[in-house]
Amino acid sequence: METAHIKDRLVDYLDGTLEAYQREEVKAHLDSCAACSQELEELKTILSAFKNEAMERPSASLRTNFYALVEKEKKLDTKVLPLQVGKGRKTKEWAMGGVRMAAGVALLVGAYFFGKYQEGNTNMEQIGNLRAETLEVRQTAMLSLMENTSASKRIQGVNFITEQDKLDTEIIGALADRMLYDENTNVRLTAVEALGKFTSFGQVKDAFIKALKTEKDPTVQIAIIHTLVRIQEKRAIAPMRDLLGKEDTQPFVKEQIESLIPSII
Amino acid sequence: MKRSIAFLTVFVLSTGLWAQGYTHSLDGIKWVKIESKSDIVVKTHSKSQLLIKGKTTDPIPEKAKGLRLVGDDGTDNTEVGFYVFKDGNDLIIRNLRKMDGGSSEIYLPSNQNISVNSKGLNDIEITGFSGEIEASAEVTGNITILEATGPITANSNTGNISVTFNKVNQAAPISISTATGEVDITLPTDTPADLSLQSTMGEIYTNFDLSVPDKNGLKAVSTQKINGAINKGGVKINLNSATGNIYLRKKQ
Repeated sequence: METAHIKDRLVDYLDGTLEAYQREEVKAHLDSCAACSQELEELKTILSAFKNEAMERPSASLRTNFYALVEKEKKLDTKVLPLQVGKGRKTKEWAMGGVRMAAGVALLVGAYFFGKYQEGNTNMEQIGNLRAETLEVRQTAMLSLMENTSASKRIQGVNFITEQDKLDTEIIGALADRMLYDENTNVRLTAVEALGKFTSFGQVKDAFIKALKTEKDPTVQIAIIHTLVRIQEKRAIAPMRDLLGKEDTQPFVKEQIESLIPSII
Repeated sequence: MKRSIAFLTVFVLSTGLWAQGYTHSLDGIKWVKIESKSDIVVKTHSKSQLLIKGKTTDPIPEKAKGLRLVGDDGTDNTEVGFYVFKDGNDLIIRNLRKMDGGSSEIYLPSNQNISVNSKGLNDIEITGFSGEIEASAEVTGNITILEATGPITANSNTGNISVTFNKVNQAAPISISTATGEVDITLPTDTPADLSLQSTMGEIYTNFDLSVPDKNGLKAVSTQKINGAINKGGVKINLNSATGNIYLRKKQ
């Protein structure tokens, strides 16, 4: 416990489902381990982001309709068909009942052992699946945050992605969409910074070139230019020259381009 | 008779200068989106509805009586110079007055999410909101946000942005950027935050402890990019200016 990280216990820690001694262990580790405390903070943020996600509430009329339906259903339910118990068949019924009961018990016991067996088999597999699921949940959370109507939430989604080590093409595509098409300047700017970490992907380079041609906001333009210069992207030179020729390019953006073009060799 | 005419004239004149307030329900509204070419002041009130106090610098001409104000993107349906309509969960409020057309006041409940967009040379002033604030000045407006809590995204092209926080909501990030203007932010001293301060050609000054050399009072940090945590870190605060300076101050 001294050296091992406790990342896989953090969710239980936050939920308060750990044993007292385990809690103490996690607490002690968190005090001494910056990486794990940071993980805890991130987990808190992502969980609270889920909680704060506004729940779509059904209208009041929908609710009353629902209760009305339940009432209706209840009334229908009371019309239970009475069991037809034939006279003179009582003994046979009783014997059949015994057989049925035995069969029931056998089934129950069988099911129990079968279940036990299955459980043992699938436990390990389930743990593996759970890990993959947690990752998937995080990804889905990030993707859905990036589609939120609030710009701040979209920025949060982009920030979460920046902290991931591995990204798939779907996430990168979503990030590139934020950079190219988000209506909010701050979201586009955050996406530029985030994508700047993943410039080894061809897909990301292409997105930067495209953004350089379409972006109108000078702050975002400068961020894009700096990224392309940093990665020495030669394809950026032509669109940068185009910006120099355009009347609506801000003077200080032109100044930056002129001073930076020579550094792409 | 004469007196009543005089009274009526005064009444008409005064309503011309300070048109009557316009109210609108906010039922089912998630975001209130305000667009304006003239100065706009957004404040809070304790009622759960929208109130607009339209203000014009010049009295409305007598000849306009019985006519409605028409702007680039709508016709006055409020009698205070605004075009207000519902669009899904959004309430769109367009100020139809031209530039320098006076500073109108908009009142909303403090927990309302608001988006304020300046489309001219006008300034935006927002005070007292605990809901989300999105503010942008497309041309050259200054943005001032007071008694803020966040989350905030604010962007101005050539204007300055000044935000004073009462406390900082840790739920969602804050992002403030300008192209050529200054960014001036005041935070309570005990705010936990992860800061990212970036200025391409301007300078960054702060009196928060970002573990950098002291130059009496506010510190000159760097002309590029600073990442640092204050009070053990917390919500992300991103301040960016291409050519302007960034000032990050402790609240006195």
